[in-house]
Amino acid sequence: MKVLCDREQLREGLAVVNNVIPPRSTKPVLENVCLVASDDALELLGTDLEVAVRYRVGEVKVSEPGLAVIPARVALDFIRDLSSETVALESADGRCTISGGSDSCELVTLDADEFPVVSRFDEEKTLTIQGGTFTRLVGQTAFAAAREAGRYAMHGVLMVMEEGHLKLVGTDGRRLALSSTPVDQPSEDIKPSILPTKGIQLFCRVIEDPLDMVQLQFGENQVGLKSKNAEIFTRLIDGEYPKYTQVVPSETAHIVEANADLMGRKLRLVANVTGDEARAVRFKVERDEIAMFGRSAGRGEAQAHMEVKYDGSGSSISFNPDYVLDGLKHCDQETLRLEFSDKSSPGKFCLGENYIYIVMPITIDT
Amino acid sequence: MSESTCSILHIDMDAFYASVEVRDQPNLLGQPVCVGGPEGGRGVISAASYEARKFGVHSAMPCAQARRLCPSMVLLPPDFDRYTEASRQIMAVFQSFTPLVEPLSLDEAFLDVSGCERLHGSARDIGLSIKREIQKRTALVASVGLAPSKFLAKLASDLDKPDGFRVIEPHEIRAVLDPLSVSKIFGVGQRTAKRLGAMGIHTVGDLAHRPRHEVAREFGTSGAWIHDLAHGIDTRRVTPRRSEKSSGCERTFAEDIEDREELRLFLLQFCEGIGFQLRHKGLRGRTVTLKARFGDFTTVTRTKTLSTATNLGPRIYATARDLLERVPPGPLRLLGVQISALEDVRLPRQQGLFDSPANDAQAASADEASSARLGRVTRGLDRLRHKYGKAVVVPASLLGRG
Repeated sequence: MKVLCDREQLREGLAVVNNVIPPRSTKPVLENVCLVASDDALELLGTDLEVAVRYRVGEVKVSEPGLAVIPARVALDFIRDLSSETVALESADGRCTISGGSDSCELVTLDADEFPVVSRFDEEKTLTIQGGTFTRLVGQTAFAAAREAGRYAMHGVLMVMEEGHLKLVGTDGRRLALSSTPVDQPSEDIKPSILPTKGIQLFCRVIEDPLDMVQLQFGENQVGLKSKNAEIFTRLIDGEYPKYTQVVPSETAHIVEANADLMGRKLRLVANVTGDEARAVRFKVERDEIAMFGRSAGRGEAQAHMEVKYDGSGSSISFNPDYVLDGLKHCDQETLRLEFSDKSSPGKFCLGENYIYIVMPITIDT
Repeated sequence: MSESTCSILHIDMDAFYASVEVRDQPNLLGQPVCVGGPEGGRGVISAASYEARKFGVHSAMPCAQARRLCPSMVLLPPDFDRYTEASRQIMAVFQSFTPLVEPLSLDEAFLDVSGCERLHGSARDIGLSIKREIQKRTALVASVGLAPSKFLAKLASDLDKPDGFRVIEPHEIRAVLDPLSVSKIFGVGQRTAKRLGAMGIHTVGDLAHRPRHEVAREFGTSGAWIHDLAHGIDTRRVTPRRSEKSSGCERTFAEDIEDREELRLFLLQFCEGIGFQLRHKGLRGRTVTLKARFGDFTTVTRTKTLSTATNLGPRIYATARDLLERVPPGPLRLLGVQISALEDVRLPRQQGLFDSPANDAQAASADEASSARLGRVTRGLDRLRHKYGKAVVVPASLLGRG
């Protein structure tokens, strides 16, 4: 293999691929990147067996096609610190030489046959969406997915096609974020898929320009995304996703409209004075006002007040402030709507045109 | 000065387990009775009667060694139900004098009787009454120490044992403390005693006469602490309910056990017991730790923190069982479970989205939904257990196991 490439483009590609490659693995070959030089292109392949990426480096001159499997982290670090504009890659006899200007390094290569097969994007069952929109949907939902071990199906983000919308759902069983966007050529035969949180977040890393269109491909065991330079695939979580539609309240007794930014600031303020063991802030709604109360056993208590639009009867509900703040961070619009029925039923935050966030309250056992 | 008034009592039962046995089997009276065992394996002595102590037998001694010292020893297996019952009666006696009771174990407690004088007479009278009352209600003998502080009270109850009653008045502190060995100080074990000995400090008096900074320099904060105690200064208060950090159960097996099924049964037994204890105390916990010691004494622990705190045996067991899977195979000498990150059940609790019956079928949330159901069932079972004893309801797989 013999290739000449632009240093910056090669560095960018290696950086993307290194996001997927595990720093340490029980299978050492996975700590490597596979360079594939064909007649007019250089592809970089990396995988941790759950997520796999194929990155196409632009502006390359291939004088000798071939393969080389080299340590990914070292290659990135060396190329990043090179000062030349171009980089030459040359492999032969179990060695791969990286040179730029008068500087070079020689890395040990592994047998290319040992490297796992990385899929290719095919054009079936695909869906086209703007890169920035996809990134936003992921940001608005992935944070709510479960992190603790045990609830297997909740360890990912659910993607479904429904009524011409692509819907993403994340939940850890205590809060649930649901964001959707209309898509142009809706293909309804796409089956619901649970993407591991890490995988779907890596999808966003290969989207360089938010205005670019990206393609999603839904397979039996994996979902792929194709951006301008990269194809990335993630294995799906095989499990039954909780019936999330049943927990979205449709009719609620209390509806409050409030400035999202102000609510965030007031809530953070009060949250400072809540216990470590029981983070709870009580929201008390009264005519045109929300009062928030926090207390910390043995330390003290705090309260904050804000004007809102509300003309119902007085009521109150307590939430973990961290959960509410997580959602407010991704709020799409100036004014949010909080809907709830009583202190033990879910609170529904409408944070955007197609974005809702459900948070279960905190109650006290009697 | 309130600190110097004598109002702290330390009450300690004499050879408690052994005395309960002798009380219940009068033919054993006068014989060297020990509780512990089993004799064949790795059993140790849990309690030795004063007759047995004359032979040099003491608690924590391996049974085989005790037998060599005292061939006529009567060794009985422990019967904790009877000891617990006696303990309950003793604690009730304490409670009838003051609510400020700090139990240290089944048979030992600190009491603060300051302010009880008008109701029950002087501290000395209360101490004597308690001793009499315990004798009357349980036919067991207690040793009582009365002093201005916890440390001195505990020391006092030990000075006249058995059947002791000893008061250390503020003015006699020096006279009592000075000749004692430093190892009598709470917190001075073998190693500290040895290091003190190397510094020429053998008695409490030696220690008290050294400058405080010198001891503190050698032993750090614990140096300052033992120096204070050597002067009879102990500001710890009697705290009726010490906040508990963890609750656990472990057992050393008579013979190493390799069979995982057998080990799981022990785990279930431990977890059921821990759950019951927690519920009884109004607590729940989040962090489950499993401890396993192999035949060669290497010990491993495995820990998992649950998403929500629990005090239900089956939930603790489900986690403990998973943790056992992460212990390498091999014969185990000891197995134990502990639950920590305890909290009051009255603390606010995060509700779950998928707890409602409509979602019962959901595999992912089944644990929470079933926890709610299990909680309701357990409340009923606990009422039975409190009325008829713990053994009245047990998981079927534990039927017939002690």
